[in-house]
Amino acid sequence: MKIETTRFGALDVEEKNIIEFPDGLYGFEKETRFTFLPFNPNVESPMEWMQSALSPHLAFVITDPHLYVPDYKLKLLEEDKKKVDLQPDEPFLTRSIVTIPENYTEMTANLVAPLVINPNKGIAKQFVLTSMEYDTRHYLLPEEMRTTTAIPH
Amino acid sequence: MLVLTRKIGESIKINEDVKITVIDVKGKNIRLGIEAPRETKIYREEVFLRIKEENQTAATSHQFDPSKVSQLMKDKIKK
Repeated sequence: MKIETTRFGALDVEEKNIIEFPDGLYGFEKETRFTFLPFNPNVESPMEWMQSALSPHLAFVITDPHLYVPDYKLKLLEEDKKKVDLQPDEPFLTRSIVTIPENYTEMTANLVAPLVINPNKGIAKQFVLTSMEYDTRHYLLPEEMRTTTAIPH
Repeated sequence: MLVLTRKIGESIKINEDVKITVIDVKGKNIRLGIEAPRETKIYREEVFLRIKEENQTAATSHQFDPSKVSQLMKDKIKK
């Protein structure tokens, strides 16, 4: 299918590469279809783009939270797994939405509301953790790599 | 909305298995104790607002060069 995007132009995406979010995302309840794209075509990166298939201007940066918090704990209940059509022992992917401010060294990941993706069925959902252990703005870079003043792009 | 008045130490029950007890009242703060089955999800309501706002911010803050961000992540992994 053809997807119009502001950032990447017109894309031809196979239906199997569309991830369905039946409930949308918090604040974006009508955004139910996304596709994942390389963050930067020339450079290997822990990040990806998650582009809306419905709204050309809407794209999120996502990453695997385990790369930054190795013991990141996400306990899914059986009823949670059913929401993304997962069998009890089926593996799933976890991604966090990244916020990149003008000073991009201060980018953060939302560890409270991870995206859980069933890669086989192409169904996903944004869950909210009940644990108070994590932050919606977890810095991805250690303090010594963050600059305090905005840096030019 | 159903409105009930409770004293300290009194509870309300929701279905058979959820019990909410008023533990203490100090000025404007009320401490509640909640007993519920392990799989019950209990949230402070503000968390949903915070997540909505964070999603909005994440969706609009894209004035960066992806190659610079990637380079930074590479530098981080090297360390």
